[in-house]
Amino acid sequence: MLERLATLAMGARFEIVLEGRAPAHARAAGEAALEEIERCDARWSLFRSDSLIARVNRDAAQREVQLDADTFELLEACEELRARTAGAFDIAIGARMAELGFRGESTSAAHAPSAVGSALELDRARRTVRFTRAGAQLDLGAIAKGEALDRAAAILRESGVERALLHGGTSSVLALGAPPELEGWRVQLAGFEPARDVLLRDRALSVSAPRGRLATRDGREIGHLLDPRDGQPLPLELRVAALAPSGREAEAWSTASAVLLARGVAPRELAPATLELFTPVAAARAEVPSPVPSLR
Amino acid sequence: MSPQDRREFLFSTAGGLAACALTPSLALARPIIRAGAPVQVALIGAGRQGRAILGELATIPECAVVAVCDSDDSRLQAALRRAQGVKGFASHAELLEKAPEVEALVIATPTHLHTQIALAAIAAGKHVFLETPLAHTLDDLSAISEAARRSTKTVAAGFQGRANPVYSLARSFFKAGALRELASLRSQNNKKTSWRTPGSTPERDRELNWHLDPAHSLGLIGEMGAHQFDVYSWFLARQPVAARARGELRLHKDGREIPDTVACELVYDDGLVLDWSCTLANSYEGRYELFNGAMAAIKLAWTHGWMFKEADAPTAGWEVYANRQQFHNDSGITLIADATKLASQGKLQEGVGLPYTSLYYSLADFVKCVAEKAAPACSISDAARTTAVAIKAHEALRTRSEVAIDPKLLEAL
Repeated sequence: MLERLATLAMGARFEIVLEGRAPAHARAAGEAALEEIERCDARWSLFRSDSLIARVNRDAAQREVQLDADTFELLEACEELRARTAGAFDIAIGARMAELGFRGESTSAAHAPSAVGSALELDRARRTVRFTRAGAQLDLGAIAKGEALDRAAAILRESGVERALLHGGTSSVLALGAPPELEGWRVQLAGFEPARDVLLRDRALSVSAPRGRLATRDGREIGHLLDPRDGQPLPLELRVAALAPSGREAEAWSTASAVLLARGVAPRELAPATLELFTPVAAARAEVPSPVPSLR
Repeated sequence: MSPQDRREFLFSTAGGLAACALTPSLALARPIIRAGAPVQVALIGAGRQGRAILGELATIPECAVVAVCDSDDSRLQAALRRAQGVKGFASHAELLEKAPEVEALVIATPTHLHTQIALAAIAAGKHVFLETPLAHTLDDLSAISEAARRSTKTVAAGFQGRANPVYSLARSFFKAGALRELASLRSQNNKKTSWRTPGSTPERDRELNWHLDPAHSLGLIGEMGAHQFDVYSWFLARQPVAARARGELRLHKDGREIPDTVACELVYDDGLVLDWSCTLANSYEGRYELFNGAMAAIKLAWTHGWMFKEADAPTAGWEVYANRQQFHNDSGITLIADATKLASQGKLQEGVGLPYTSLYYSLADFVKCVAEKAAPACSISDAARTTAVAIKAHEALRTRSEVAIDPKLLEAL
């Protein structure tokens, strides 16, 4: 029998459906996995004053901030991805996200365009981070949900769970094994024409769409996906799904691919071979919106 | 708005209290630690709490985790992956023998295993941070307390309220008499959880779920309530003289013997009562500690705290700057660290909430005390008294009778 559990974290509802040795075991394993997601939220949330990322955003312009091993490794992976995508993926977009109204209150920092290079100095030996670009503010919104799903899945595996489906806000999904007597977990991609189902088994799926969260700027609707290089919102009708071996890769590459596609670059040329990308036909016809000026 | 609505509105508004959200005006920043070389730390017990501890220790530059110990190999390997480049041991004895560079031990094993490890660590001349509750029997408590008294090193306990800046600030208001006559105390810890740890095999399930085993566990009163009882011990600087308790299994009927829903009353010598409750069936309002006085109430909830003032309470000058938060009919003041400075910069809102986790403050205090040979925020004798209260309250639950708490018993700890 399948157990179903949920928690609220990272501004989304995370849900797990799983099978265990017995209902009590499944519930305990699911709770441990959800706790891991809550721990990720506690470290990487922008909405908590005591999170590690809030600490980095507060202090890293002035001094090195000591990180735990997980967070350091995640930031290193983000930097690799930034280099690989020529800045189409960049976590140092916190100030612009806040300015456009996607992250609660606006911060006092101005957006630092990523085209000029990395905003971070990572010291592996001392496990520290420091901002090298004025105005840098981290926002892990384009990778944290997928990373949290990977960590939750690892807890499930350690607990002896072999079948589970996990999702964060329905935009990032991870499958562990398959339901009994089936090839995989069937997931429907909403808003894709023609309609498209994906069969997931030990793989992750992430969908990036500017319409996933909207704000209004100068009377105009804008979506939450930005090109970090100039801080401009992507076309609203854009939609990209990425299938990858891990939640981290799926989420990061779905975001990066959306940015690259919007700028006329084929993500396939930059992405790892294990990545599968889906884009609805309509997205290719999406119009590039006029620029949204910075307030500063 | 109809006349009736308006009357009700006015009535409820008049009845509403002014609440003040407490944000620390004490040291909100991380403790400043005067350290030369980083303190060499080892963790014993790499379960859930141990993993959280590893994460926090990694962000304290004045210490370095050099070894981890757990009797379960999968947990040990997971911790070694997390800590990277540290030594791993399957027993505390092996660690003490083979890692002489370790100066300080953080012990986060199951409660009933604390004593033997803590005594060995103290005997080996190590600084020790012992998670709480300290022990599950009075005999073990005495042994730990006695060993800590004889130690010349830092021996600290993990009741986190005492190192938490929000709680320190609230306590300064409490001690200054902001509440006046204390009327009642109420506290709860609600969380919807089975409180089970999943094991990879049924055998591991049994080992990992020691806290569901009546032979080894103080149940919800000990593992959850003690942390909140300690807040009251610290604020009131006295201990209850009797305990009453009741408990039921309301939701998790999975073969366990201990209740998942518990209520407990701790009675003080002047008739003041602390009402504490805990359920694993519902999460509403989570965890908090409440003090109700004739002039104000203080509510503490881990990273945040508020003061709700009565209408006839005197108004202090700083309240002009206070950040306020509305709770239905009541409005609270959040006391904020460096409130005056932040207000002058128009950044008062940024001071709401702790900038570090409560566990971080506790561990950083320990590292600071080791580096500076200072007294820890939570001493073993403080923690032993609170743990003894929890043991007695658990006895009240088990026997379904009122249990007296002998002040002499507590003084001896």
